[in-house]
Amino acid sequence: MNPYAPKAGDFTPVARQPGLITNPRPSQSYWQDAWLRLKQNKRALLSLYLIVALVLMTLVGPWLWQQDPAYQDLDLISQPPAYGETALVVADPGIWAGVSVDPPTLITVDSNATSSLAATAQIQTVGSASTQYVRLRWEPVAGAGFYLVYRNDHAPESSEDLGLPLGQTLTAAEVSFEDRLQLRAQDYWYTVLASNGLQEAPGFTTVRIPVQRSITESQAQDRKLHANAGDTVTLRSHPFGTDSLGRDLLARIIEGSQVSLFIGIVAPFLWVLLGTVYGGISGYFGGTIDAAMMRVTDFLIALPFLLFMILFRIGFGIGPGESGIVPMLLALVLLRWEDTARLVRGQVLQIREEAFVQAARLLGAQPLYLIFRHMIPNTIGPLLVNLTFSIPMAIFTEAFLSFIGMGVAPPTPSWGSMSNEGLKSMLSSPHELLFPAIFISLTVLTFNLLGDGLRDALDSRMRSRE
Amino acid sequence: MLNYILKRLGMGVLTVWFIATATFAAMHLVPGNPLANEKATNAVIRANLERQYGLDQPVLTQYVIYMGNMLKGDFGIAFSEENRSVNDIIRETFPVSATLGLLSLLFATAGGVMWGALTAIYRNRWPDYLIMFLVILGISVPSFVFAGLSQFAILHLNKWTGVSLLPVAGWGSFRAMLVPALVLGLSTMAYLTRLMRSTMLDVANTDYIRTAHAKGLSTTRIFLHHQLRNAILPVITVLGPSIAIITTGGFVVESVFAIPGLGRYFVQSVAQLDYTVIMGTTVFFGAFLVLMVIAVDILYGFIDPRIRVEASR
Amino acid sequence: MSSEIILEVTNLAVEFATYGGSVQAVRDVSFNLHKGTTLAIVGESGCGKSVTVQTLLGLIPMPPGRITAGSARLRGAELLGLSADRLNHYRGKRIGMIFQDAMSAMNPTMTIGDQIAETLIVHMGMSAAAARQEVITLLTQVQIPEPERRLRQYPFEFSGGMLQRAMIALSIACQPEVLIADEPTTALDVTIQAQILQLLESLQQSRGLSIILITHDLGVVARMAHEVAVMYAGQIVEQGSVDDIFYRSAHPYTVGLKAAMPGRSAHKSVLQEIPGSPPDLFAPPAGCGFNARCPHVMQLCTSQAPPLFGTSHQARCWLQHAAAPAQALYQQLIASVRS
Repeated sequence: MNPYAPKAGDFTPVARQPGLITNPRPSQSYWQDAWLRLKQNKRALLSLYLIVALVLMTLVGPWLWQQDPAYQDLDLISQPPAYGETALVVADPGIWAGVSVDPPTLITVDSNATSSLAATAQIQTVGSASTQYVRLRWEPVAGAGFYLVYRNDHAPESSEDLGLPLGQTLTAAEVSFEDRLQLRAQDYWYTVLASNGLQEAPGFTTVRIPVQRSITESQAQDRKLHANAGDTVTLRSHPFGTDSLGRDLLARIIEGSQVSLFIGIVAPFLWVLLGTVYGGISGYFGGTIDAAMMRVTDFLIALPFLLFMILFRIGFGIGPGESGIVPMLLALVLLRWEDTARLVRGQVLQIREEAFVQAARLLGAQPLYLIFRHMIPNTIGPLLVNLTFSIPMAIFTEAFLSFIGMGVAPPTPSWGSMSNEGLKSMLSSPHELLFPAIFISLTVLTFNLLGDGLRDALDSRMRSRE
Repeated sequence: MLNYILKRLGMGVLTVWFIATATFAAMHLVPGNPLANEKATNAVIRANLERQYGLDQPVLTQYVIYMGNMLKGDFGIAFSEENRSVNDIIRETFPVSATLGLLSLLFATAGGVMWGALTAIYRNRWPDYLIMFLVILGISVPSFVFAGLSQFAILHLNKWTGVSLLPVAGWGSFRAMLVPALVLGLSTMAYLTRLMRSTMLDVANTDYIRTAHAKGLSTTRIFLHHQLRNAILPVITVLGPSIAIITTGGFVVESVFAIPGLGRYFVQSVAQLDYTVIMGTTVFFGAFLVLMVIAVDILYGFIDPRIRVEASR
Repeated sequence: MSSEIILEVTNLAVEFATYGGSVQAVRDVSFNLHKGTTLAIVGESGCGKSVTVQTLLGLIPMPPGRITAGSARLRGAELLGLSADRLNHYRGKRIGMIFQDAMSAMNPTMTIGDQIAETLIVHMGMSAAAARQEVITLLTQVQIPEPERRLRQYPFEFSGGMLQRAMIALSIACQPEVLIADEPTTALDVTIQAQILQLLESLQQSRGLSIILITHDLGVVARMAHEVAVMYAGQIVEQGSVDDIFYRSAHPYTVGLKAAMPGRSAHKSVLQEIPGSPPDLFAPPAGCGFNARCPHVMQLCTSQAPPLFGTSHQARCWLQHAAAPAQALYQQLIASVRS
């Protein structure tokens, strides 16, 4: 290393600069630092936005989506999600006389008949095929005693694969059939088989019929759509589909969110409040009072919580099938506060022994000053985390109880009771379970992620390692 | 150690007494005493009830009778069925629930420890992200949704393969137990995975792991002999609460999968307002859970030397 | 003093990436450890002394830690940058390490005997039974009474002093050449401290151990060290024999440290402190790291970082520059005499 060649003035003594002695970085308050950390946690921030959106949906949703959640559209039962669908207005079907032919010459039914029946030919629709009805007619088959009609949602591969047996004609003279059985706007494959009572025609022909979505004139009137047969109207949209009673699922989810989020947010607030007061008293006084008060929480923790939620309801005289939102709230608060109480007690006991509190006490601080200046600010972080994690627990409890029919009962929807109803028809229309389930999961997920973020941001001791 | 066990058991007995009393109070002290009203239509049942519970006596006497029965291990008689005691019901249905619960607890702990350890090893790399994503899903999605979805999946799997690989519902064979047990254990597994991951990372940052590195032990050895062992201990402490969660979760899973266990029977009793079955089952479940928590505590005492040695002094 | 160099560290630099930026925890640190001697590294908390020695054994988590420059050779063999596998041939076997808080440095769920035997089994290929015998010998050597009973006990059943003895037994189990003791007596009370130091001294004599002793206690340095390196803000600011450091202190920081040392005599009832706190290592100030706290700060100190002056006794201070005014040196001399 080359020795340094000093310049003039290099070795002039300078006064020590006190300003340099202190830490040059600006110090941040606890909350500033916490907010900074939370903002860096993308997942927590996104969750926070989603929670705000969910709460907004609950509050202003009914104004934005003005469908009556209780309106039952029995023509649109368990419809999958659809938006802006149009339908053809058709005349009210009335009673269709069908098509008959002169009775064919009766062929003696021969049990050893070797001659087999021919396949039914020329199956065609009468009028337009719509979701209101599909009317079929076909050419008579010699030797037929009656006809069987099948419907399938794909082209049959064999005579074993004809699909749903819709029915049969009474006589061979009837060569028509009207299908009004839960038709959807899609393509159907119809098969008509002639039968002589002993055997069915071995061969078959299938006709593919595209079915158009339609409503009848009188249904259009019911919905206050002024339209005549032949018009095309835009149907009410069901972005989440409809349930098994033809009610709009989105409207019900919005209404259900009022129950689910009400219980999910209000109950934890109340129990955290109760637990804070209880735990604060217990921790502040300590000693025998503390020991006795904590024994109570020991017992409460040992209670089988969900069973007692049910017991509470029964105790209140609310049977299954009856709604009990307030009792559920009350029971939740009474059975769930002990966790918070323990947290606050531990925190208070710990802070009480901290040097800064001892110092404040020595300097003559009053109890109230100690509580408000030292205890509460040092407890509020963990409490906020505790509250955030309590909310998913309350939402789950509501969902669980409603699911087993011990929570919110029809007609009031909650996400839990809607899931319960959806589960029954899950195999045919999964969306009825899926949408309420997604909302429960999303809410629980966001609160959990926010809780994680808050814990990381607020409490260095509880900080999880990510 | 014996002292420790006795102390825990003593507390347990006290807790069970509290549960029984709280149950009794819930049924008697709130307005509309359900036992006193005339919902039991059948005269035979009515007579049985009066004899069993002393319904014509004052509340305090009823309490004494009730506690006396409980002490004898008699959980009462059914409200809606003739000549059927709660003990019979428990004897018939509880083994089913216990088998299901045990299997799912096994799934949950084995899975939780394994996945948790894996995430810790692959910390901040894609296996960690993937598993933690699934964990978040497992914690956030209610079990009845998983139950419904898995039935849907089984149905389509069977349809697709053309063989009945797994039954959609029911009970009896091991194959029938598999999916319900998995569904039941899923949320606990997710929770344990999370716990295991965080304790693994906590342990990895301890001084004694640094010492182990300074001793020149291989990473594998440190992982197996030092890290895993210390990280599993906190997981064992939450097994008690996990059993409680799995037990109540069983109500839903048994109902959805039509498994003839105590949980499903309980849900049915609730629907039929079979008060005495509800009471009896609640106390039984409560006692069972208290016992399980104590069992886990004692197990923990044997495993953690800090408690074992202290307790034996 | 033997002149054979066991461990040679040159120009070591370590930084940590944190969420507030990167911290230069160790900057341009060089020292030599001679056979059979003790090198004490002294400095206040956070000066980088622990990081320096832990880096040698690869005990710094990476990331966030990163070695940006330097080398460390044990008898000529490079240690830095080795894979964990290769490093394991040195760790515990040729370089033993003792940590400050033995209670947290020992695995709480494993018996003391098993923890010591583990290194013997791994490094020396001993059988479990042979390792057990060796553990008993080792525990006897570190003067733990009833070793047969003690080896079956867990760390929480040991007192702090006993545990530190067990820790020493663990670190010397495989007959290492170098022993790194990271504040071995800080957590102990004074009488136990003295016993542990005595034990280390006798082990050094009987086994020819070379010891790196990390401490902030100059009393321990005076008792144990042959050579001393004073660290401040990630750098060695003064280095030399123990006499150089104590009697011919060349850096104002060393002078300050000595002044802050509690004396035995009663007349010094108020401890002298060095005003201020160490600089922020996120953004080390221009010039000398000590300039803000230095009583002799000069114009040059605020703009130009001083190099190490001197050969066997080195100091990183502009006062040592040939052109520095004698007046400043005189002041410093006065200061050191006063202390």
